[in-house]
Amino acid sequence: MQAVEYFEVECPEALGAEYYKQIANDVLLDHNLLRVIYKLHIFIDPKVPVFIAVGVLKRITTVVRVGDFANVNPQEGKMTLVISDETYLAPMLKIFWQRFGKEKVEQPDRFTVILYGVAAEPKEIEDIVVADPSESLHKDLIYALRCIAPEGFRLRSEVFTLDKFVFVASENTLAEDIGTLVREKFALMSEVPP
Amino acid sequence: MTLVPVTYKGGIYQHDIVMDLIEDLGGYIVQKHILAQEVVLQCFVPREDIELIREISRPLFGEVTDSPLVGTEIAVVSMSLEIHHLPHPSCDIAEYVRRLGAKSNMVSLARGPGKRIAGLNDEERDVINEHDIAVYLLGNFETCIEYKMPTLRRGIEVPIVLCGGPSTDVLRKIIDPPVDGYVGNVGRFMRRTKEADELAKLDEIIAEITRVLEKKRDAIAKDPLSVAPARLMGLIREKIPEILDVTSPTPLTVQMAGLRVKLPYDTFAEKVRKVEIEDGITLGEIAEVNPSRMRDYIIVKILPFSETNTVV
Repeated sequence: MQAVEYFEVECPEALGAEYYKQIANDVLLDHNLLRVIYKLHIFIDPKVPVFIAVGVLKRITTVVRVGDFANVNPQEGKMTLVISDETYLAPMLKIFWQRFGKEKVEQPDRFTVILYGVAAEPKEIEDIVVADPSESLHKDLIYALRCIAPEGFRLRSEVFTLDKFVFVASENTLAEDIGTLVREKFALMSEVPP
Repeated sequence: MTLVPVTYKGGIYQHDIVMDLIEDLGGYIVQKHILAQEVVLQCFVPREDIELIREISRPLFGEVTDSPLVGTEIAVVSMSLEIHHLPHPSCDIAEYVRRLGAKSNMVSLARGPGKRIAGLNDEERDVINEHDIAVYLLGNFETCIEYKMPTLRRGIEVPIVLCGGPSTDVLRKIIDPPVDGYVGNVGRFMRRTKEADELAKLDEIIAEITRVLEKKRDAIAKDPLSVAPARLMGLIREKIPEILDVTSPTPLTVQMAGLRVKLPYDTFAEKVRKVEIEDGITLGEIAEVNPSRMRDYIIVKILPFSETNTVV
């Protein structure tokens, strides 16, 4: 596991821990989440049974703006956008339609968008925020952790903040003092819970 | 004449010569697959004639290999149909046994996962019991396997091969009373089995299944069946032409001591019972024709010689 500062799986059964480390690695790799995780500690006790995953996230500050994937060329009465990456084309068009109206936005081909009679500076257009990758981050992370956790553990308690997360799952009602255990696991990574 | 299960692989050109030969020698073709230019026949042939088939199919670039799982129906019991267990390892194992000639069905339990909450309902139990063998795919924790296995095996009468995360010795220790086969170090994993060591693990599962099935075959040989299931398959195909219209990949599934007929029970059970085998002996006299718990199929259980006093 590269780029992850701390990654441990703790379990009373040594072999089980080894398998779960592999599973966690595979799932996070598949979902492309290793780049956002800074520290991760997983604790599983099949006797209780309980599954705890606590971690610290890397901060993702970059938002995608129009200028990142398009060249804005101002011309007389119109503005031509040359698109280099189509990934964010659809959300961009949606924003344009909303802001300027459909009649002012034209897309003659896949890589060109023309704005007619728009009262805005090219710089202004370039700075429009199209997407925020961190928005779906928590959704992806919850899905990945549900894949990692043993399947029968359907009673869950989750806390996801901007930089830390706690995911606790069990098939029985969670113990009232589960917070203590979570704190202990954070302490192992020299961190405090969110 | 002992019939042994083999797989024939060869080109499509003149493959009917081989098919005719197998039938003339008294063998049975259980499954036939045509894949592009290749034909795969899964069949039972007389042991002493294998060399002859090899010789005749040599100019056609045919290849005859042993496949001990031909003519068996295996239940691969997966704890659920969630992403946690599928497609790896459940599908990987089900697919691997299929390659060696078995007909594998995946039986996924409605409440399989978990420890305390795991359970097996009557429909699942009956469906598993309709197979020759059940391969249980359990998880990675010793504690959970030990806790849930007594529930999951309740009422199962067919041999069980247990696969789980802990080592084979540990599995052997925690399961009481013992099951028929154990394969350790195959628990839940989330990657495709394609590395050499993972394929070796699949081979180990096959070896264990084969060993358990051989034991079952020996037990059947002590009190032979009144008729060979493969022969019954040929007869039903001949006498009930409606079976040819069934689009399922194996409309007639051969088992070690029976046959699954994929036709509705209510309409066809009587017809199946009345199929004449030889000298006026009908199928109904030497076999039980029951409704299957799988859809509305028919399951035929062939009775042993000790019960019917006839072998045809």
